[in-house]
Amino acid sequence: MSDRIETAVESGYTPQIPEKERILKARAVALAKQPEDTKVDDEYIEVVEFKLSYENYGIESGYVREVYPLKELTHVPCTPPFVFGIINVRGQILSVIDLRKFFELPETGLNDMNRAIIVHNSRIEFGILADVVLEVHSIPLREIQPPLPALTGTRAEYLRGVTKERLAVLDIEKILSDKKIIVHEEI
Amino acid sequence: MDENEEEFLIKLISIFKVEAIEHISAITSGLIELEKADAKMQMEHIETIYREAHSLKGAARSVNLKEIESICQAMESVFAALKRKEIITSPQLFDMLHQAVNFIGKLISKDDEITALEKSQIIENIRHFEDILKNAAVTPHQSSVREKPEEETKPEIPEIRHSAIHEGTVRIPTVKLDSLLLQAEELLSLKLAASQHATELRKINAVFALWKQELAKVHAEIQKGQGSLETKDVRFNHILEILDPNNASIKSLESKLTALAKSAEIDHKSLGGMVDNLLDDMKTVLMLPFSSLLGVFPKLVRDLSRDQGKDVDLVIQGEEIEIDRRILEEMKDPLIHLVRNCIDHGIEKPEVRNLKKKSPRGTVKLAITAKDSNKIEILVSDDGAGCDASELKSVAVKRGIISQKEVSKLNEKEVLSLVFVSGVSTSPIITDVSGRGLGLAIVHEKVEKLNGMVSFETKIDTGSTFRIVVPLTLATFRGLLVHVNEQMFAIPVINVERVVRVKTEEIRTVEGRDTISLDGQVVSMIRLGNVLEPGEGEKNKTDENIQVVVLRSGEKRMAFVVDEVVHEQEILVKSLGRQLSRVRNIMGATILGNGRIAPILNVNDLMRSAVKVTYAPAQAPEEVLKDKPKRRSILEVDDSITARTLLKNILESAGYDVKTAVDGVDAFSTLQTQEFDLIVSDLDMPRMNGFDLTSKIRNDRKLSELPVVLVTGLESREDKERGIEVGANAYIVKSSFDHSNLLEVIQRLI
Repeated sequence: MSDRIETAVESGYTPQIPEKERILKARAVALAKQPEDTKVDDEYIEVVEFKLSYENYGIESGYVREVYPLKELTHVPCTPPFVFGIINVRGQILSVIDLRKFFELPETGLNDMNRAIIVHNSRIEFGILADVVLEVHSIPLREIQPPLPALTGTRAEYLRGVTKERLAVLDIEKILSDKKIIVHEEI
Repeated sequence: MDENEEEFLIKLISIFKVEAIEHISAITSGLIELEKADAKMQMEHIETIYREAHSLKGAARSVNLKEIESICQAMESVFAALKRKEIITSPQLFDMLHQAVNFIGKLISKDDEITALEKSQIIENIRHFEDILKNAAVTPHQSSVREKPEEETKPEIPEIRHSAIHEGTVRIPTVKLDSLLLQAEELLSLKLAASQHATELRKINAVFALWKQELAKVHAEIQKGQGSLETKDVRFNHILEILDPNNASIKSLESKLTALAKSAEIDHKSLGGMVDNLLDDMKTVLMLPFSSLLGVFPKLVRDLSRDQGKDVDLVIQGEEIEIDRRILEEMKDPLIHLVRNCIDHGIEKPEVRNLKKKSPRGTVKLAITAKDSNKIEILVSDDGAGCDASELKSVAVKRGIISQKEVSKLNEKEVLSLVFVSGVSTSPIITDVSGRGLGLAIVHEKVEKLNGMVSFETKIDTGSTFRIVVPLTLATFRGLLVHVNEQMFAIPVINVERVVRVKTEEIRTVEGRDTISLDGQVVSMIRLGNVLEPGEGEKNKTDENIQVVVLRSGEKRMAFVVDEVVHEQEILVKSLGRQLSRVRNIMGATILGNGRIAPILNVNDLMRSAVKVTYAPAQAPEEVLKDKPKRRSILEVDDSITARTLLKNILESAGYDVKTAVDGVDAFSTLQTQEFDLIVSDLDMPRMNGFDLTSKIRNDRKLSELPVVLVTGLESREDKERGIEVGANAYIVKSSFDHSNLLEVIQRLI
């Protein structure tokens, strides 16, 4: 295209006025056109993908502080079953939550691939148990379909949607701000 | 630019606040001293207050707070006049001065606009001062008329605002200090880790030495074996060829290992010493004397006793004793409450005291003493009426906190500890500030939270004493590490009475509970593992001896069976994070030397849980049965139709059936025809007012038990007393915005 213009200009070509108008109009129309495809594709979210009981889940990476190996876990008595235990992250004590208890997933044994994905917002911070942390990747927002209608209760509540690849994206803000998740028991 | 200026102004005002609070407290204590002082000392105090008022005025002017400036100006003028002996002090003058200081305090604490009412009060106050001065000006013994006191006096006043600097002190925001302390405390885990490493290296060294010996033995055997053989075996030669140089490297490794173990030991010792010193110093930096907290108390006592028409002296002992600032801050409200309690419920009115042949002036004493190296004891006592234990029992039974049967089993100490239970109050009437029985429960909770203890002693007509014991520092304390359910737990040593081994045959079962005998006292005993995990089956240990830890909390003591007592060490309390905001029986966690976590047990919770476990072994202590709310009926009496309608709406939306009456006469005739659960009545009404209605109800055979809540627009002590006299159950100051108070009171009564 540019080559053609160059040759045309060099050869001293000057278009007539109606010709000019036609070209300009065509350009204007072309420029005014909405580039549909690329526009939607711009909206991506970046998720940390992990496995939990053979299923794949994703957490928006903006909420993830770090991924910490789950080596030493201390059980805390008198807490509800979804509290997996507490860990020592460089001197800070953090609780780790077991989402399987909310999602009615079968328990799998612990091994050295287990990780705590430490998530936070401005108010709260805790770890989420993961069997294995896979990778961080971007998903176009439009690919996330609403959770299956068959899902009910907490499971649906905590899910933002599912991708074509069967990756369940968690609604992490909702989990973080859910009052149910806070343990506060007086005697 | 504008934004910057605004920011600057905000900053300036926050600085001003800090300064102003200091001036106010100096003025307040100065006023109290002045009131007590003899003529000779008076001048000195007058001078101090005068200067403080002047400095405050200047500061207020610089941040453009006109109200404060003008109050200070007025006060300054009064003190200038006092200095020149134009006027003399009087109780009224002191009242006004205190009031003025209160206004300044309010103006400072309030960030935005003040109400019109307050404004008019302030103007009123200033006018009073002006009146006093005017009167003084015309008194004959002083000829020179005061004109511009400020300009006259200004040159004499040296700048006292920066006096702190001359004493070699630096002002540092507490946030910074707290963060420093936290960092220093973190070093503790490093120290514990160093100790762990040194120990492990020592162990490896020992294993290594053992192994070397074994190897040497084998070596010798082989050498011997080869020597005894007639024809030299090539294979033996081969082995020896490997072993000989090996010996040399083993030796060098051993010496290296020994050296490493030694230096680890030295490192641990020096690091430990340094960390300990640093922590000690950091703690002293954060220590404050009690006097910094108690400064407000004389005024508090003065105001409160004046309000109630009582004469009370406050005696403070040991205010120079220092304690962790964080504990001091937490103790402020409990101490204020206890002192208030002493004046409210303890000290009698002068005429009553006269009848009892006591001095008409009562005394409230606050005594602080250092106990052991790391505990502080605070005694708050009064020489008032004391508390009747039998009354306490009947109130607790009436409130359904304890059954008649249980209460009869309590010993004297246990009965008295009922005062700390929420809802127990022996006050004859509920008001906005007291009588709900919550205050002491809050005191108890706060002290418990600090890992402290509170107890109560009383003797009728002699007085009452609250005894509080709190640790000297907050975050680190000694903990006893125990093994339970294959897990390590830490118990605060402050709660541990003793550690004993008990023979199984010494356990006796009393009313379904295991007990042991300690020093002739029967102590109930429970497995700690069962308290923590009620589901876990009891482990059948066949040991002859079981390991028992006797824990104490307040007046209660209980024995807990543990698998093993490990040892005692310094521990640093860490929170479990926001998600685990409060866990039953666990107060936090600490990190051990090996990096593992040990949960720290909450002994107060344990005691409560233990009782539940023994009474209902299979059930988790969760659901408390609540009575289904029945619809209760209330008769509301008020002569104003607006007030009536408003309150009716509120009560109905709270789920009550409401009937109304326009005055006492109307109400009383309605009561004859219909039954109600409670009556809410206004005070001032035509035909028959609230008091007369109440006393009429009390004297009626059929209605005498009906709860009566008196509601008033303006609080007055006389009215409250009158209310008690006629037998009202509650006296509430109504506010047009907040009715939660009234609803709460109604809920308590029916």
